[in-house]
Amino acid sequence: MRPFDPRLLRTAPAARPPVAVLAVVGVVQGLTTIGLAFAITSLVVAVVRGHAVAVPMVWCAGLFAARAGLAWVAERVAAWAGVEVTTALRRALLTRWLSLPAERRPAPDRAVTLAAQGAATVEPYAARFLPALVAAVVVPVFAVVALVWVDWLSALIVVLTLPLLPFFAALIGKTTQDDTDKRWAALAALGGHFLDVMRGLPTLVSYGRARRQVEVIDEVSQRHRVATMRTLKLAFMSSAALELLASISVAIVAVSVGIRLTHGSMTLSAGLVAILLSPEAYWPIRRVGAEFHAAADGAEAIDGILAALAPNAATDRAAGPEGALAAPSDREEVGVRVAGLTYRYPGSDTPVLTGLTLTAEPGLTVLTGPSGVGKTTLLEVIAGLREPTAGTVRAGSVHLVTQRPFLPAGTVREALTLERDATDAQLWDALRAVGLDGFIASTPHALSTPLGDDGFGLSAGQRARLALARATLSDARVLLLDEPTAHLDRDASAVVHDLIADLAARHTVLVVTHRPELLARADQHVHLEPEAVRAR
Amino acid sequence: MTVTTAPAPIGEALATRRPSPAIVVAGLLGGAATTSGIALTATSGWLIVRASERPVILTLLTAIVAVRTFGIARPFFRYIERIRSHDAALDDLARRRTSVYAALIPLTPARLGRATRAQVLTGVVDDLTDTVEAQVRVSVPVLSSVVAGLLAVGLTAWLWPPVGFVLAGLLVVLALACWLAWRLESRSQDELLAARAEVLRVSDLVARQADEVRAVGGQARALGWIDAAHDVWRAAVRRQSYGRALVAATILTGTGAATVIAAYLALGADVSAPVAALLVVVPVAVGDALAPLTEAMRSLARADGSAARLTGLLTQEPAVAGAGTEALSASLAATGPGHASRGPHLTLRDVTASWTGARTDLPPTSLDLPPGRRVAIVGANGSGKSTLLAVLARFLDPTAGTYLVDGHDALDLDLDAVRALIAVVDDEPHVFAATVAANLRVAAPDASDDALVAALAGAGLRGWLDGLPAGLDTRLGIGGRGLSGGERARLGLARALVSERPVILLDEPVAHLDHATASAIIHDLTDATRGRTVVMVSHRPEGQAAFDSVLDLTPSLDR
Repeated sequence: MRPFDPRLLRTAPAARPPVAVLAVVGVVQGLTTIGLAFAITSLVVAVVRGHAVAVPMVWCAGLFAARAGLAWVAERVAAWAGVEVTTALRRALLTRWLSLPAERRPAPDRAVTLAAQGAATVEPYAARFLPALVAAVVVPVFAVVALVWVDWLSALIVVLTLPLLPFFAALIGKTTQDDTDKRWAALAALGGHFLDVMRGLPTLVSYGRARRQVEVIDEVSQRHRVATMRTLKLAFMSSAALELLASISVAIVAVSVGIRLTHGSMTLSAGLVAILLSPEAYWPIRRVGAEFHAAADGAEAIDGILAALAPNAATDRAAGPEGALAAPSDREEVGVRVAGLTYRYPGSDTPVLTGLTLTAEPGLTVLTGPSGVGKTTLLEVIAGLREPTAGTVRAGSVHLVTQRPFLPAGTVREALTLERDATDAQLWDALRAVGLDGFIASTPHALSTPLGDDGFGLSAGQRARLALARATLSDARVLLLDEPTAHLDRDASAVVHDLIADLAARHTVLVVTHRPELLARADQHVHLEPEAVRAR
Repeated sequence: MTVTTAPAPIGEALATRRPSPAIVVAGLLGGAATTSGIALTATSGWLIVRASERPVILTLLTAIVAVRTFGIARPFFRYIERIRSHDAALDDLARRRTSVYAALIPLTPARLGRATRAQVLTGVVDDLTDTVEAQVRVSVPVLSSVVAGLLAVGLTAWLWPPVGFVLAGLLVVLALACWLAWRLESRSQDELLAARAEVLRVSDLVARQADEVRAVGGQARALGWIDAAHDVWRAAVRRQSYGRALVAATILTGTGAATVIAAYLALGADVSAPVAALLVVVPVAVGDALAPLTEAMRSLARADGSAARLTGLLTQEPAVAGAGTEALSASLAATGPGHASRGPHLTLRDVTASWTGARTDLPPTSLDLPPGRRVAIVGANGSGKSTLLAVLARFLDPTAGTYLVDGHDALDLDLDAVRALIAVVDDEPHVFAATVAANLRVAAPDASDDALVAALAGAGLRGWLDGLPAGLDTRLGIGGRGLSGGERARLGLARALVSERPVILLDEPVAHLDHATASAIIHDLTDATRGRTVVMVSHRPEGQAAFDSVLDLTPSLDR
């Protein structure tokens, strides 16, 4: 895991400006910090020597004001960077996944972890760790350069002791690594116990087992406390050791300065500057260490996201014109041409579809076959949601109505205009075609009625018809319908079957169905049999 | 309020931020650490100026020892403080977890929100952690700062009173800045949380349902949702950063002003040169040492929000009064787990129910369930299907009408006894991080291994069980073996089977599954539950033929 991966800036260009400003602000902050050490020194010297204080006062006030202004800017920039880096990465991920077939995306749970929680941990990384990293890189360098100029002996002491910090940090980390790893699994299990029991609370209540868990929770929480404290003690000990190391290093500088001052071989102002500057060399390094602990999740998430975004030769091979990805955007094509199609689910040995060949022209093609024969899979392959294991698929622009159609939380209008905008008149036409116009008109806000958990309830049949209404609004030349009337009663089915026949006059319509009424209207009937498919 | 467990005091106790004695001790230790830091700078300044006066080196020894002591004392006290404060907080966390869990039991499941129970419960875990963390992140730094600040004021006032006043002024400014920070953070906290939750919701949706979005050509629209959510979040973060920026700048401005004024006052002070130097550098050190307070205010604002949410959740009235004391009839009581000889006769007469009291979620409904009866309930979202099941399961009291168990009013009967007759399977059965056997014994603690295997077989999991590396002892859940949606639904069913409860309520058990899996599971469950009373809520028509009757709750207007 690297503290900063430059690929971040290449992959997410939107992250460049905030990170650049962050770096510039960090450098200027470092310069004012050094300047302030000189200003405070001259103020102290003026006060104790009785010199004129006006000039050092102005310098001090000015530099404090500058640091105040920079602190303002730094907080704002840090927040900006946190948001921009996070949103840039998340948007890049989702944009990419929305253009890839299922096989080339991570599994849904992994995808959600990366895009939602993973990207969220990037925010503290960018907003807090990156500024600390900039400070750790520039401030010690500035401090040492200034020290060389003022008092080379102090500079030498700092240069010699500074590397001890990362060295000891690594040493402590290494000796405690095994111990930490061993405890980590146990600690995660103990820590996860409460969440597990909480999420299972409804189950426990329903079987009358909840009260028994109260004692268990207490016992496990106390064990968790003991185990956590063992781990924390090590972490706190190592951070105390580093602070002590820094203290001792500054003390060495102080002793050398003190001795030379009493001998008169050094001026007061040089001594004061050395004392004020030398701690500045150490704390940014300690801080970046502490922040990195907190930002480690973010750094790890960035690794994962960049890996998911990396153009991969193996996964992008089929993007050429001959490949399967040509299918959904084949502008010339108005029908569907499937040749020698074999499809095997990732991780499975037996193909669902083997050597299937099928051609559908404008008109109604009905696809039948026993459950599990691969009808839904075939539609998904034609729609470009899956890529063939072997064979070719060519199809015009495709709109697929799945068995559980996607209806976002939102209004009826939003559900219908997912693909493209439409006028209210067009929406009402579409609703009339599926026989839903009367129902939607009777809802409280008609087209603006919210749907979903918090809104107006739809039955499964109503959802299916809404999805069909959306399909009629599509620009696609090929319509794929998966069991469109499975949830509908006889009357509603008749309306929808008329609509499908009507659509088939202008589109290539491929329907998976069990309904004989619809089969009777087909221009072409394709029956998939497990043996037949494999024999072909 | 009835005589049931009273969660209100617990809810309020959680909101308290009064630090425990252990935290006060930790805060004092933190004060010692912060004071050591300020003292280190002060004595160093004094020492350097005194050294430049070229005294006999022996006269500096006390100061040299003091500098060393403070240098070592700071990490030492900091270490002890962190150990003490974290230990106290973890102890507090353990106790609060136990009491919150106990307080949630009577509120489960009806008061946890309808669609997103798991999320609500996860939220409770996070909120509880935030509230307790406030002990470490707020109480300790505030106490430390007060101790160190007052000591610094005392020291400077003793050396030269006017500078003491200036330092006191600096503390007042810092306190005001903290108050401002807390107000500004609190103001935008809710807005920010809502924006963040919306971003997570939308990205979860798009990441999980990328195929469904692509199928209907909704890619551009989906990216539009992401952008819109990001814009709202961006605006909220910006607004919040104003507060933080203002406070960071105020602290530095105050420190600068105090330093310059202290220098001016030290100039005319009747003190030695080294003390004058000390008076100039102390305000700088105080400003540095107390700057982390802004971060504490951010945590405080967060903890406030968490405590408010917890209190809101835990001070609700339970959805079942649970005052009934009447025992079940002898024949029914004997049918408890393991003795399912006869099921109860359940009857609903014109029952209505409401989750919140604000609106009627279940219109007047009657249902007769003699032992062994099988009823499918269909209807649009929001027509009251789940509400009906909640009433039957005694998770929710009816608002009107009567619910009879073998002719006795269910509300007069002992709550736990009625619940023990009924097994509920919902659409997302929880899989505990435990073995297969332990996951099933949640429903029947005394079940034999053979009974567990039989239940798994009945739920269609025999083949799955045979494929497991350690059979019934295979660990599931987090850190263990993953389950597909279908396997999870079947595990929920197996739990209901092994419980041997005579009534099984199924709430959309296959809602998230594809057609083929759903059909197979419904087929298996109708077989396995033969002889028991079964009520199944479903969106889908699969397998309804196997039920004695279908109850459609959709209001006639919408059908």
